[in-house]
Amino acid sequence: MRNEDLFKRLIDTKKRIIRPLLFLTVIPYLAFIYVIAFYPNYFSNMLLNSNVSIGIILGFLLIIVIWIVTLLYVYLANKHIEPIIKDLNN
Amino acid sequence: MLKLFTSSQSGDLNIVAIWMFLIFVAVTLYITFWAAKKTQSTNNFFTAGGNITGLQNGLAISGDFMSAASFLGISGLVFLSGFDGLIYSIGFLVGWPIILLLIAEPLRNLGKYGFSDVVSFRLDEKPVRILSAFGSLSTVILYLIAQMVGAGKLIEILFGLPYITAEIIVGILMILYVTFGGMLATTWVQIIKAILLLSGATIIAVLVLNQFDFSFNQFFDAAVNTHDNGAAIMAPGGLITDPVSAISLGLALMFGTAGLPHILMRFFTVSDAKQARRSVAFATGFIGYFYILTFIIGFGAIILVSNNPAYLSDSGNILGNNNMAAIHLAHAVGGNILLGFISAVAFATILAVVSGLTLAGASAISHDLYANVINKGANDKSQMVVSKIATIGLGLMAIILGIIFEKQNVAFMVGLAFAIAASTNFPILFLSIYWKRVTTRGVITGGSAGLISCIILVIFGPIVWVDILNNAQAIFPYKYPALFSMTITFFGIWFFSITDNSLKAAK
Repeated sequence: MRNEDLFKRLIDTKKRIIRPLLFLTVIPYLAFIYVIAFYPNYFSNMLLNSNVSIGIILGFLLIIVIWIVTLLYVYLANKHIEPIIKDLNN
Repeated sequence: MLKLFTSSQSGDLNIVAIWMFLIFVAVTLYITFWAAKKTQSTNNFFTAGGNITGLQNGLAISGDFMSAASFLGISGLVFLSGFDGLIYSIGFLVGWPIILLLIAEPLRNLGKYGFSDVVSFRLDEKPVRILSAFGSLSTVILYLIAQMVGAGKLIEILFGLPYITAEIIVGILMILYVTFGGMLATTWVQIIKAILLLSGATIIAVLVLNQFDFSFNQFFDAAVNTHDNGAAIMAPGGLITDPVSAISLGLALMFGTAGLPHILMRFFTVSDAKQARRSVAFATGFIGYFYILTFIIGFGAIILVSNNPAYLSDSGNILGNNNMAAIHLAHAVGGNILLGFISAVAFATILAVVSGLTLAGASAISHDLYANVINKGANDKSQMVVSKIATIGLGLMAIILGIIFEKQNVAFMVGLAFAIAASTNFPILFLSIYWKRVTTRGVITGGSAGLISCIILVIFGPIVWVDILNNAQAIFPYKYPALFSMTITFFGIWFFSITDNSLKAAK
């Protein structure tokens, strides 16, 4: 019984960590593609007095978001998932 | 091309490039010799003994992903149309969190050598293995042809070698690495190449930005003022002309990455799920950094290459084609030495990527088809023999297909490989991990329908039907089939699973 409880806790913990991170990746990406698909002109607006467009800034931000998501997941998994796996193995 | 490489510069270029390349070959063959002693079992052959660390595997994964085609192709695309190159980079990169969050750990925990182990885990093994092997092999072979043709042309230009000689050199070195050194040698070849490529691209980017005092404002101003399209290069442009194509391409890029067999098999080279996670985090870091570099290189080439007569033909076009933008830029900012270094790195990159692909293909043949379908219960020794024969066979096939397709436009093959990975390999893997009610009938029907619809839609689409077969109008109007073929696969698997009343389904 104890093992089953632990296993359930593992699944729940994983879900709690993975779902928000998945949304944090997929929603901005789909939004990015959506703007390119339907409102490409929006991305051509330039930041004040420069030749740097909003599209390029958001593109780079998206790369940074992707980096943060992967690092955050590794951190959270080591902190919350690994201990449960360890308990399960004992 | 002639103007640049047969002038007085060519002697210098060839010496630097050829020496660099010979050193790379010597080092990698030595590694292969060392790895061969440790590669005595099938397990070692396909997983390098499971002793690769997270950082090493992260580098090797990013090496698999940073092919010469993506280095030269994406920087060439940025050079041609600016912002549009970023769409590809981000689409490729966003596949990585998907792999990390949804695939990497279950794959590492349930599988042995490849994703087919996981798909066939709860299902009827034989048909599922055959389908997975077809999915893997079609992805691998399409990708391999595209790499081989690109390799031959690039080496022809950079080293002045005849196309056929280039194909044979690449094919034979790849066969040596994989047959004797297995996954261990392939991984180290990939690691060395990843470090070389990241360093080379960093040097070019730093030398370019240095000319603008590292100010992105000045840098982008200069690009907008130089390019014929002016400020339009900072916004979405000609690459994607309609919403359906944008979404379809976006899906293929995101989910295709998560279905590439040569990438997925790398998760078995590390010791556990923890190291698998670390590998993806490192790989995402390196790949994202690499795409930022290719973006800077593409814009740098707009400024420094596009109106420098040394790199233009008499008609004003760039020598070679747009894919040569990064190579010309290396010469523009770093002279013949950097040009030679980048040429050698490009050659090394091709070798490393085709080795990884061949190993993934050999795994589908020997592990899925031979050891689990044709001769179930085959002993380790015979499986090892089949793996090596499969490697040699795939290598020879790559050389022959590379020569046959020399004059063909093969760019669509990478797109097709990604579409198949996104519409067959990814859905069957994803649903067999996360959907309890999936059945063998669902996976086989849906997966095959996705695979076949991909191929048909690409053949009837604009790239093959109009550009290659010279018909007036495409039967299927979109270049990228993933939106449709992925829908077919997911719907097929769902529908044929829930309507499956067989005894097996009830289990």
